[in-house]
Amino acid sequence: MRVRTVRSGRTTLCLWALLCAAIAFSAQTSAAQATLAIRGAKVYPISGPPIEHGVLLVANGKIVAVGEEGKIKIPRGATIEDAVAKVVMPGIVDSHSHIGIIANPMAEDSGDANEGSGPIQPGLRALDAIDPADPNIRMATAGGVTTANIMPGSGNVMGGQTAYVKLRGNTIEQMLIPGTIGGMKMANGENPKHYGAKDKAPMTRMEEAALARGIYEKAAQYKAKWDAYNKAVTAGDKTAKQPDRDLDLDPVVEVLEGKRVVHNHTHRADDIMTALRLSDEFHYRLVVQHGTESCEVASELAKRHVPVSFTIVDSPGGKLETINLDLGCPAALEKAGVKVAFNTDDPITSSRLIIRQAALAVRGGMSEESALKGLTIYPAEMLDLGDRIGTLDPGKDADFIVLSGPPFSVYTHVLETWIEGQKVFDRSNPQDLRYATGGFGVGDRFPASPRGGN
Amino acid sequence: MRALRGFTLLICVAASPALVAQNFAVLAEHLYTMADGTQGGPGLVLIRDGKIEAVRTGPHQQPPDGYTVLKATFVTPGLIDTDTTAGISGAYNVRADQDQDEATDPNTADVRSLDSFNPNERLLQVLNQYGVTTVQTAPGPRNPVAGRAGIFKTAAPGSASPTVEQLAVRQESAMVFNLGDNPKDTYGKKDKAPATRMKTAEIIRHALSDAKAYEEKWDKWKKEGSDISKQPSRDMKLEALLPVVDGKLPAIFNAYRADDIDTAIRIGNEFHLHYMLASVTEGYLITDAIRRAGVPCLLGPVMQRFQSLETANATFENPAILKRAGIPIALMTGLEDYVPKNRILLFEAGIAAANGLGMEQAVRTVTADAAKVLSIDDRVGSLAPGKDADVALFDGDPFEYTSHVLAVLVGGQVSYQRSK
Repeated sequence: MRVRTVRSGRTTLCLWALLCAAIAFSAQTSAAQATLAIRGAKVYPISGPPIEHGVLLVANGKIVAVGEEGKIKIPRGATIEDAVAKVVMPGIVDSHSHIGIIANPMAEDSGDANEGSGPIQPGLRALDAIDPADPNIRMATAGGVTTANIMPGSGNVMGGQTAYVKLRGNTIEQMLIPGTIGGMKMANGENPKHYGAKDKAPMTRMEEAALARGIYEKAAQYKAKWDAYNKAVTAGDKTAKQPDRDLDLDPVVEVLEGKRVVHNHTHRADDIMTALRLSDEFHYRLVVQHGTESCEVASELAKRHVPVSFTIVDSPGGKLETINLDLGCPAALEKAGVKVAFNTDDPITSSRLIIRQAALAVRGGMSEESALKGLTIYPAEMLDLGDRIGTLDPGKDADFIVLSGPPFSVYTHVLETWIEGQKVFDRSNPQDLRYATGGFGVGDRFPASPRGGN
Repeated sequence: MRALRGFTLLICVAASPALVAQNFAVLAEHLYTMADGTQGGPGLVLIRDGKIEAVRTGPHQQPPDGYTVLKATFVTPGLIDTDTTAGISGAYNVRADQDQDEATDPNTADVRSLDSFNPNERLLQVLNQYGVTTVQTAPGPRNPVAGRAGIFKTAAPGSASPTVEQLAVRQESAMVFNLGDNPKDTYGKKDKAPATRMKTAEIIRHALSDAKAYEEKWDKWKKEGSDISKQPSRDMKLEALLPVVDGKLPAIFNAYRADDIDTAIRIGNEFHLHYMLASVTEGYLITDAIRRAGVPCLLGPVMQRFQSLETANATFENPAILKRAGIPIALMTGLEDYVPKNRILLFEAGIAAANGLGMEQAVRTVTADAAKVLSIDDRVGSLAPGKDADVALFDGDPFEYTSHVLAVLVGGQVSYQRSK
């Protein structure tokens, strides 16, 4: 930054020399400090069996090595963090969250998830409403969440474009994962029917499906026009007329082209079948979100390789479509060969307790191995990020958490959360601890930035 | 699964509809009686005719003949949810099954949860399956003077479809008063009173003051010869409040924000009520004031959502902080108006246990301490001879996410047993 202010040649030269020296020095120290070694913990790489006394090596925001203590060479000068008797696993991926878009505390104007002005809203982007200062984001890191799929709500048949983010940074641009465009939120069943009370469509599940088919047909036609135009231009046709651009249809075309996954809020077995029917008809990729009755149609999901991002709440009901909630459902899906992720649907459940979601599925009969995958690699795959996050393997992002004990014990706490080699949550820091337990002032948007006013 | 060996016999017998009351011998690797003595060692609980017959602690206990043997890793008294809407607020959350808030008048002292209680409500079954055997079911949070709570079992021995009378431990257990956002949101929006916290307090004070005046009027009439032509006209709301101002029926003040809790204490003290605090979300901020008032606290679910400004400061550590401050505490689940439709006491106590309260104290909080706060400790809350045989059996630490409730007994009979 300082270089820009330098004007005179001689001073420039002099400063350049100083600067080069400084860069050389800092490069040297950062090379020494850049490698972080977490040593002694029980490490769950997820891609392989747990390592009782493991070492995790991290440099430049990436995982360098994972293995047994003694077999992994820790470079000289590396920062060593002792984690004996602790547990290390990949950062948790929440495939269904509303943090930042339904802010804490919930008040009349703090909710931006549901654009209730019409049921088809593909042009909306969650990223335009996410508040990076929402305390819920800090609370999610206190629960071990490092990556989230932040979505519009389920009040619309097509609710808008979702955002795949890392939970760091002061702007949405810093949060968004480079190279991702997010998914498309859809919903069927009870929620979009709220329009019926205003004498507007949809009033029935029939109309919800009809509206969905309508937008896909429209997008298919739009795509055909553009394809024809592009083909003509490529063939050298200078008279070809360019179709008008439609901001609503572009993202739907991305769904049809397989670039954007549909995250479909759907609970009841027949609603899940409607979601499958639509994805069969228009050949798009689908993640069943919630999937309360998904185990009833497990074979249909398995046949199509459609995964379920499951939400567990503590008791059934609260709405008709969740009346058959059953802790045994994830286990039944596992048995049928369906991949299951666990989400918070925050604020429906708290991101601080996302591990509890998977633990309750273990209570319901799921294997610990699949439950751990359901917090890490499976949701990562559902966001097309399986090659980047979700396991502790060399080359992947250094997103990991340190736990005080076995992952699925109620008495275990998340001690540290790291994103790309940077610590974003530390339970030993009283400021951070508040986000783990809650308490007075946690709802402050900028608690760490005193401005010194008054 | 090892703990389940004793179950084969039980399943055969319990399936018989013409069931004669059985006697049970509950063998525990870790027995938490919550009566006097150290907790958590091995032991045996004998159950006869619906009551605890005897408790024997120590290893190598031999169940006597004539008892059906149940084995479990952990055994505790049945859990007590000290303030919930289960039974009057149904799982479907549609108008047909929502009977918790008579939001047509800010003073509904004359209503009783007893008269809305649906013994066949599936949420009661769900609670029972998680070890909850007793609930205090209270009117919802909307009216400043909301009406009377009752205390009920979540199942009745020997009856698949009991009446509310069969379930009742106390048909009328407390009068509920609500402070904070709920009353003003309910009525203020309709341009009715209360629209502010000031008015909510005034409505409550008015009702209590009127009840005193009503009592004096009747006393005077009786003293002056009980002339029927001069008899004061009856007022069901004021009559319902008489035992409250007389200190015979406890008052429950539901308050979340610290200043609302303080308002509850102010009113409770002004009218010399026998009262307790409920929800108490920000209680940890004013432990001194609560301890000075000397009142017990029914603490709201620690996993409650930050769904309003008054619950924005909720902390998992509230039970631990209040307990450390020497305040008598119990836990409650209150009202949920979306998913989940009811919080589960067992889960809430687990989060409290893991956030400073500790396992044994958490068990005590939802059993013996809860019974004491509700003055039903002569019947429930501990496993001691003569108490109701309400027992929860677990295959591990009750609060562990991955443990299971193996069986639940209410009044000495099995109300739930795990099928797998």
